[in-house]
Amino acid sequence: MKQNKNIYTKTVLGLGLIVSIAIIPACKKSFLDVPQQGQQSSDVFWKTAEDAGKGVNAIYGNLRSWENTAFPAIAIESMGSDDAEKGSTPSDASFFNDFDQFSVDPAQGNIGGFWSGQYRNINYANQVLDNVPAIVMDEALKARYLAEAKFVRAFSYFRLVRAFGNIPLRLHVPTDPNKDYNLPQTPAAQVYAQIEKDLAEAEAILPQTYPAADLGRATKGAALTLHAKVAMYQKKWGDVLNYTNQVMGMGYSLLPNFEQVFRLANENGPESIFEVQCVLLSGNASASNSQYSQVQGVRGTSGVDGGGWGFNVPTADLAAAFEPGDPRRSGTILFRGTTTPEGDVIPAVGDNPMYNMKSYVPFKLYVSGFNEGAQQNVRMLRYSDVLLMNAEAANELGNSGQALSSLEQVRKRARQGNPDILPAVTTTDQTALRAAIYRERRVEFAMEFDRYFDVIRQGRAAAVFGPKGWKANRNEVWPIPQTEVDLSGGVLTQNPGY
Amino acid sequence: MKRIFTKFSVLTFLCLLFINAASAQNITVKGTISDGQDKTTIPAVSVVVKGTTVGTQTDANGRYAISVPANGTLVFTYIGYNTQEVPVNNQTTLNVTLASSSQQLEQVVVVGYGTQRKVDVTGSVASLKGTEISKQASTNPVSALQGKVAGVSITNSGTPGASPQINIRGLGTIFGNQAPLYVVDGVWYSDINFLNPGDIENMSILKDASAQSIYGIRAANGVVLITTKKGKLGSATTINYDAYAGFQTVTNKVKMANATEYATLTNELYTYNGQAPLFKDTNLGTGTDWYKQILQNAFVMNHNISIAGGTEKSTYNVSLGYLNQDGIVKTNNFKRYTARVSNDIQIFKALKVGYNITGVGSESRDVPQTIFHQMYSASPTISVFNPDGTYGDPKLQNLGDGANFNPQATLDFFNQRTKDYRATGNVYAELKFADHFTFKTSIGGEFGQTENKKYTPVYFATTAQKNDISILDLKRVETRNWIVENTLTYQNTFNTDHSLTVLLGQSAQSNKSYTLNASAQNVPFNSDADLYLSLGAPGTQSLADAGTLIKFASYFGRVNYAFKNKYLLNASMRADGASQFYGNETWGYFPSIGAGWVVTNEDFMKDQTVFSNLKIRGSWGKVGNASVPINPSQSLISQTGDMVAFFNNLPYPGASKDMLVPPSIVWEKGIGSNIGFEAGFLKNRLTIEGDYYTRKTSRAIFAIPVLASLGTKNDMIIGNQADIQNRGAELSVNWSDVTGGGLTYSIGGNISYNQNKVLSVLSGKTPIYAGSTGLTNGFVANRTMEGSPIGEFFGYKTVGIFQNAADIANSPTQSGALPGGFKYADTNGDGKINSQDRVPLGNPNPKYTYGVNTSFSYKNFDLALDFQGVAGVQIYNSNLAYRFGNENFTKDFVDNRWHGEGTSNTYPSVNIGSSANSAPSSFYVSSGSYFRVRNAQLGYTLPKSILAKWKIQKIRIYANAQNAINLFGYKGFSPEVGPVPVDNSEKIADRRTNSLNAGLDANVYPLYATYNFGVNLTF
Repeated sequence: MKQNKNIYTKTVLGLGLIVSIAIIPACKKSFLDVPQQGQQSSDVFWKTAEDAGKGVNAIYGNLRSWENTAFPAIAIESMGSDDAEKGSTPSDASFFNDFDQFSVDPAQGNIGGFWSGQYRNINYANQVLDNVPAIVMDEALKARYLAEAKFVRAFSYFRLVRAFGNIPLRLHVPTDPNKDYNLPQTPAAQVYAQIEKDLAEAEAILPQTYPAADLGRATKGAALTLHAKVAMYQKKWGDVLNYTNQVMGMGYSLLPNFEQVFRLANENGPESIFEVQCVLLSGNASASNSQYSQVQGVRGTSGVDGGGWGFNVPTADLAAAFEPGDPRRSGTILFRGTTTPEGDVIPAVGDNPMYNMKSYVPFKLYVSGFNEGAQQNVRMLRYSDVLLMNAEAANELGNSGQALSSLEQVRKRARQGNPDILPAVTTTDQTALRAAIYRERRVEFAMEFDRYFDVIRQGRAAAVFGPKGWKANRNEVWPIPQTEVDLSGGVLTQNPGY
Repeated sequence: MKRIFTKFSVLTFLCLLFINAASAQNITVKGTISDGQDKTTIPAVSVVVKGTTVGTQTDANGRYAISVPANGTLVFTYIGYNTQEVPVNNQTTLNVTLASSSQQLEQVVVVGYGTQRKVDVTGSVASLKGTEISKQASTNPVSALQGKVAGVSITNSGTPGASPQINIRGLGTIFGNQAPLYVVDGVWYSDINFLNPGDIENMSILKDASAQSIYGIRAANGVVLITTKKGKLGSATTINYDAYAGFQTVTNKVKMANATEYATLTNELYTYNGQAPLFKDTNLGTGTDWYKQILQNAFVMNHNISIAGGTEKSTYNVSLGYLNQDGIVKTNNFKRYTARVSNDIQIFKALKVGYNITGVGSESRDVPQTIFHQMYSASPTISVFNPDGTYGDPKLQNLGDGANFNPQATLDFFNQRTKDYRATGNVYAELKFADHFTFKTSIGGEFGQTENKKYTPVYFATTAQKNDISILDLKRVETRNWIVENTLTYQNTFNTDHSLTVLLGQSAQSNKSYTLNASAQNVPFNSDADLYLSLGAPGTQSLADAGTLIKFASYFGRVNYAFKNKYLLNASMRADGASQFYGNETWGYFPSIGAGWVVTNEDFMKDQTVFSNLKIRGSWGKVGNASVPINPSQSLISQTGDMVAFFNNLPYPGASKDMLVPPSIVWEKGIGSNIGFEAGFLKNRLTIEGDYYTRKTSRAIFAIPVLASLGTKNDMIIGNQADIQNRGAELSVNWSDVTGGGLTYSIGGNISYNQNKVLSVLSGKTPIYAGSTGLTNGFVANRTMEGSPIGEFFGYKTVGIFQNAADIANSPTQSGALPGGFKYADTNGDGKINSQDRVPLGNPNPKYTYGVNTSFSYKNFDLALDFQGVAGVQIYNSNLAYRFGNENFTKDFVDNRWHGEGTSNTYPSVNIGSSANSAPSSFYVSSGSYFRVRNAQLGYTLPKSILAKWKIQKIRIYANAQNAINLFGYKGFSPEVGPVPVDNSEKIADRRTNSLNAGLDANVYPLYATYNFGVNLTF
């Protein structure tokens, strides 16, 4: 009995110990206080210069996204034009035809895709603009960071306003569901005003050039060029002339060979004003996420005779738009049955007769496990755009001399020293010169997502795209994404005609 | 003594009291207990002195001896027999025969933190014996529940080693884990695929909120309680060996187009699109049947051996299991080794300690999930191998996208193995004191590691299937969980009429997981010994990790009271603190109450003969769901690869805030009520049990779309934004009898009806769309909105096929309309077809599930036949229009397609993949109802006369067929379609699912039947 009691004592002692092990931690207040594992809380961010830098990097990084460079951008910014059509195989992603023929339904996913892609850029910019000012850091660097954010915000609003017209103008990060989540549309004119304000502020701060390590960031020239373009869409010809004249004094130049402008070796070259930076980073597929080149690439077997998806292909109409012998034709269109300067043989038989040469990356640079052509930068703004905007503005203001001179710079380069082609334009008739500049814009910027909105702002869309189904007073803008209209609960108004 | 008293206070004191009580002995009674019918002795019968906890068990020969007051009464209890009370009256020998009972009433069921007599249960609890589970050919114990229990719906995945999807009384959560809580011997799990079905003694499914709420925190999706086998006190060592071997073979294969048909249709498509035909000669014979090439009759083999027994004071059970299962896709294989030891030691009459430990190791050779869609799409015109041994290359026929692969090559160059090692179990101590108290403490844990290794070599198979840089991908998931629980139970009967049980408890647990993903390129491969990241090329190694840590602290209590066994009252309360709810929302409170009335125990029922049992019960309770994202109200910073900026071609990390969070997140709570009855007729040979329930998930955590103009990354905000209701009824009927001729048989049927409905969601009538992306060609096919079921199908209603241009001209304006294309209904009558014309097309949540289970035994033969089915459910056949180019067609499509005016008014032309035709429409939605012969087993037990010589107690051999016959109208492979996996993990078991886009059939594992032969030996 005594021995038994002894064992009882020990047992009970043991049990008591177990109980206390169990209860004590559970009673401690901190037991349930478990911090989030492996992800920073937002209230410890935006404290240092490094945080500010990361926030700015995110803005640039997102410009590569699918929504910014692939299907949604093709659908909204390219398919409507007479330069491009769906491509690929007839049954693959046939919704592109609905953009091509202006029969698209507001619920089509790529409309919403483009919309949210741009608003994501804007959110990343607003995060920086709202949060970085309070960070204690080098003031000059801080000012530059803010200016970079303003440039991207302006660019995104420009892409939105020309695509959708009246849109919600969000200039701060949302704070309260009952206050600033569901913003009504701002009239397009006010959106343009805000874009110009952002650009003016960015121009004042952004440097003309960066040290090599910062190559790819937005420059003063980029802001001015975009500003000129935004002014052009509003027919503010004096501003266009002013901004383009400034850029023309900054030392940009045209590359002698047009086709070479779009090759990897000449990325961020003397002609480049702003490019979306894309790299194929070994071991990091998620950072090598650009599909810009892949979705437009030659269809075929990856790395052998293609590997791309073959969407957004040039039309026969575009192929016929080039003047005889214009080297830009082969610099813009990759024809089946030809061999590229880099030696890729494109078989004569295949799904599409033509592909976008401007997004082409030589097949030998494809790496399995990565998007084909993930390394191709997207040329957003080129110096030739500055020259042609300058020419157009000068012509509109009656200065045909400057117009002809700027236009000739573009044609001269295209000529590549061949005196038998692309004769210099000499007409001083404003209408004839305007037509010449319009035509020059088409062949110079074909397949660069410029043509569709360019023709609309020129006021010629009914004439040019009418045969494809474009209707005035409707197709100037695409429909607001239907889900967005639904979610706004009546705050957003669908564009007329949709 | 005094020191001990002060130190250990009450517990010690009560223990000592108990010893004194137990020492008061009077006379010793001995005897043998035997079966009233066949007079065999019964081991392990519980013998208890009435009104005390003093008791013993009969030994292997049915003998017992016990000290008992000379005027006391002994109570003999054994599962399956009527309990008998015998007054001692100074006798020293009491031989008792027990009458076997078909009375379910005396059945003891396992409930939360204890057991209850079935008759005392006021909630809805179903229980299933281990033998019911292990006798099926299911390798996963959950899978064996299919058709067995009303209200439990199982969707099998087919992949060896993967767990099926289980829903108890409908889908009640969206964002959280939908799996029920599994409690195995007191340890909590969210998946039990580590458990060998042969080790299960009993499974209890807690279906209503009042039964569940004692597990508050995790009970919202139901609770499955599992007890594993243990040895019996004082029984001789028993060795059981159970084994089966057999094969699995695909049933209900969908017939695909042969080479000639494929070439004909492909040319038809090219012509339709205004292109030159691809095939010059379409007369290509039958070509390759890729299903035949890739699928196999898969071997399966299972062995279990268990050794169990007990001395007077301890019991033990040791079991070993081995499963080797091939998948129906060639090379797919799953091996599982399990070892389990349980040991209980009665240190003193008052104190019992014990442990259960399970070790499991499994290894699977995986197959790529893409193989299923590839078999479906691959061209029959391609040969598997060329005469020179190289792979048939689709490129040579210019087949292009959609069919530019050779599935055999896909399979041959896929090299991934998943290994899982897990040790789990618990130790416990149980102390009985002061006659009526039981204190139990238990510490359990789980240590697991899953490793997923995939190596892709440099290879060239076909023009499109090649790899230039070898890559090694490694994923490792570590699990570290512990749980500590303490309960104190008080049980007593006052004045013979009032019986009372009170339970108090406390629990603490911690669940930690850590995932490491790594890869490296250019790793050499001569053997597995080379598969190290460090052998990869410098600079190509990449590494990412993630982890979660969740802790729970809980307190709970329950009171069960019965008056004269007529009126029953149960009430419980649980308070749970969970670390994933921050701040003021950490704690949730989960009460429940239940009442029952055993009508047949009333005096006025004494003389009636209709009912042998009638009980009416009702209950109400609240349960919680903590399997939700960790603290979704905390705003976090994203730092992902796509945010990396490149300057001068060098990467710089980007980070920012791109999510919106609600100000706070509160517990997702389920509120359930249940009314039921249990009735027995004809001496309980016929039993009927019925339930009606409502189960409401209030403030379900739900991601609702927010305005994209807010600029968040996924256009969603998570919050407590929806109320979901499941309402339904269940009915089970069982008949069992023994005929005069010696046939013992039982027939049981169960049916359940469930209606799933979103009562309210913050987005109101604005639908939440899902099911977009590739599966439905960029269109949404599911929507969730107020008043509709979760994830209902949504799209156009087809009213015919455009026959010609005139037909198109005379119909409402429809973009992209072409002859041979779908004609959609203009449901809003505005003269044009657009997204406003889309209507609900079906419900992926089954309304009816049912099962019929029968068993017959006659002399040495036994037969079991189980049937099972679902009805009132729809499936969306994504495969049909999921086309990028020249995918193959089904034979059904070949035979019924439109190919010229008047050829079809239901099936479209070969241009089915165009956006006009592939938009979600009623054409793709069909009934998912099915009926199947779930299990058929015929067994033969060798006569004892033969066995006596071999010193074997029992030999039974059997043949079993599982899923042999499946009847359904659906034109896909399998009507068992679960939610579409969210991520691309190659192993289905690792995938999380999203119930918002349920029922999309894109990659379903084909159905298969399993035929096997087995043997049960007892030594």
